[in-house]
Amino acid sequence: MPTENPFQDPLRFERRVPECAAVIFGANGDLTRRKLMPALYRLAYDRRLAAGFAVVGISRTPLSDDQFRQKMLEAVKEFSEDTRFDEDVWRAFAAGLHYVAGDIGDAALYQRLAQKVAEIESEHQTGGNVLFYLSTQPSQYAPIAGGLGKAGLNQGNGWHRLVVEKPFGHNLASARELSDRLHEVFQESSVYRIDHYLGKETVQNILAFRFGNGIFEPLWNRRYIDHVQITAAESIGVEGRGAYYQEAGALADMIQNHLLQVMATIAMEPSASFRADSVRDERSKLLRSIKPMTPDEIRADTVAGQYGAARIGGQDVPSFRQEAGVDPNSRTDTYAAVTFFVENWRWAGVPFYVRTGKRLPKRVTEIAIQFRPAPLAIFENGTGAAPSDGSPNLLIVRIQPEEGISLKFLSKRPGAGMNLRPVSMDFNYGSSFGERSPSAYETLLLDAIIGDATLYTRQDMVEASWAVVEPIENVWREADFPICGYSAGTWGPAEAGRMLARRGHEWRKP
Amino acid sequence: MATVAPESILKQLAELWVTMGKQGQEESGQGVLRACTMTLVVLAEESEDVSNLGETLAALMPEHPARAIVIRLRGTAERALSERVYAQCWMPFGQRRQICCEQVEIMASDAALADLPSVVLPLAVPDLPLILWCRSARVLARPEFRQLTEMATRTIVDSSGFADAKPALEWLTGMVASGLLVGDLAWTRLTRWREMLSQIFENRKNLERLAGPVRVVASDTGPLTTRALYFAAWIRNGLESLGAQVRVSILQAPSPSIELAGDGIAVRLERQGETLVATVDGASQCTNLPLPNDYLLLREELAIVRRDPVFEKTLASAPRLAYATE
Repeated sequence: MPTENPFQDPLRFERRVPECAAVIFGANGDLTRRKLMPALYRLAYDRRLAAGFAVVGISRTPLSDDQFRQKMLEAVKEFSEDTRFDEDVWRAFAAGLHYVAGDIGDAALYQRLAQKVAEIESEHQTGGNVLFYLSTQPSQYAPIAGGLGKAGLNQGNGWHRLVVEKPFGHNLASARELSDRLHEVFQESSVYRIDHYLGKETVQNILAFRFGNGIFEPLWNRRYIDHVQITAAESIGVEGRGAYYQEAGALADMIQNHLLQVMATIAMEPSASFRADSVRDERSKLLRSIKPMTPDEIRADTVAGQYGAARIGGQDVPSFRQEAGVDPNSRTDTYAAVTFFVENWRWAGVPFYVRTGKRLPKRVTEIAIQFRPAPLAIFENGTGAAPSDGSPNLLIVRIQPEEGISLKFLSKRPGAGMNLRPVSMDFNYGSSFGERSPSAYETLLLDAIIGDATLYTRQDMVEASWAVVEPIENVWREADFPICGYSAGTWGPAEAGRMLARRGHEWRKP
Repeated sequence: MATVAPESILKQLAELWVTMGKQGQEESGQGVLRACTMTLVVLAEESEDVSNLGETLAALMPEHPARAIVIRLRGTAERALSERVYAQCWMPFGQRRQICCEQVEIMASDAALADLPSVVLPLAVPDLPLILWCRSARVLARPEFRQLTEMATRTIVDSSGFADAKPALEWLTGMVASGLLVGDLAWTRLTRWREMLSQIFENRKNLERLAGPVRVVASDTGPLTTRALYFAAWIRNGLESLGAQVRVSILQAPSPSIELAGDGIAVRLERQGETLVATVDGASQCTNLPLPNDYLLLREELAIVRRDPVFEKTLASAPRLAYATE
């Protein structure tokens, strides 16, 4: 029996994509409409999905297959940002869309689903491969996994993978408990914890930049790097998610998952290969090397903030406590800044300043690596030459909105005299590669179908992140811990600036 | 006799950047960003539509920014060379700074072809690949062209421009045999077809059904085209590696298609307008397949700056098929 497809051409073809059925729980939800279905349609448009690809949407609302297809058609038309709608492609794609209505607590739902999956296996020749995508409330993850297990949907022909969205627990204990419940049904190697930040092109490019080039890695350590700043700023407020957000806060919503993963990618050791577990082992090791903070260190090296009302661009914006669904006395952090230290030989003593917030001046996510100054300042006063402006060498990795990498260095201004000025050398993803970058969900969905877990979070990484973040959350919950106010439209509370100033640093204004 | 001096072109290029930098500063305060990943040398006949070629290069630049050297072939006997230098700029969506690439246009008579290597070599951007794209089938056999291919990292031609497929295949196999890297746009036109066929056989059950005798019919709009030969040869190579006994027919038809018929499996791929329809055992599936233009073909080829083993294997076996079909 042949084992390899002799028609493969890896130099020119996209990666091999096996036939499978994707079962989406929460098929009527916002994530499915805004992200998942447009991403799947785009993959179909680009011929990235196998001919037998099928989707089974699951939700409580009774719908026929055709009604479900119509809803998904509307979603694709509304939320596909840069994809031309093609009637023929849609017709072929929509033929594989199916719907099963039911309550996730009802065992009969899983029996109906098993029957549907068997029909699809026969009609679409999926070989029994099934990707279960849980686009539901996190509290439903364990019951759904249990229901799938009882109906035998975690075994049989082909592979069976489970994709779950963050949050993966709300602290270390609940993360472990969730993991234990999932592992009763699915092995860890079949659980794909999605972190859409890791699917962004620039985050992946960090690996290419660091490990595909020989010139940067020798500088990538405490000897040459002074400190690192990671910023994820949003200009919007909680936008109708007030009730959810006040339970989570900026620290748990962004730093515990996205930004610690980004930090791990920046600071990890080179992996032995680009195999999923090899890369994830190194990320995990880095997360476990982050120094857990004592309560005193937390008070000195973290800042929690909450935005107040302000007038931005002639428009009044409410404070967080005035947002719909938010407790008027809420102490939830809408801004979080933390100084992390990594306890290993490469990074000992190098501060990693991580901040995130809502209602900041603009939407930007970037990593700024500030290098140490030249050991001898020969262009300073006293030599007859004009002083440099002291601008440090900076390497900026922009994740959004304009993905790219910039290197800032000093150069002599043309003309007489030794006047130095900073110049920026830019690599812009959009201009250097005019090709459209796939959305994070396109990348991650395809990876899950292919079985490449490199960009997915493993349980040990989740636990390592919570081990760092949970002590901070515990101190922040204490009544005497200050939640600092900041005006909407500013770069956060003044206390965050002072946190850096103690070490002679200051926040960049991206 | 008109001549061109590479030093003078390089000086003009340097001056161009100074001027554009000043203009950019004055207009947007941002200057311009120079981007370059390769030197792209294009050989085209003077009679070709210059605006079409210009549009193709302009479309390629954002993805494959290059110093483009367009050599327009006059075909006259008089020994003449002339040049002009300009920039190709674009403003990426949502940004304030222009991105620019350099373009040099050289007019060369046939008698001056021998002078081209000495002009192109100093103009090539150091440390980056030099890709030679020859749009003129007429010059391929000339010894001066051979000199250019030896300077190039990779040479791209279009064998569909040959009147007969056999000399085209002979020329290409000769190039590969001498260790040169070659690409053929007739092969590039097959990528989406081949990918679709490969997807069908990602399914192991379909693959298993190819073990016995298989009949392959490759149809194209012309008689015995390189495209049809490539497709048939590539399929035959794949099937033979599975142990199948393959019988190949190449036909002329109103629209291109490929058919595989084996024990218990029938596969047909056919273009219908801008759609590729794949039919497996009577069940059809269609995908978007825009008609490939020069931009789409070059976009794919310029991304490959290395040996292409699947193409080379196909090229090695296609001539046997061409003579067998005779």
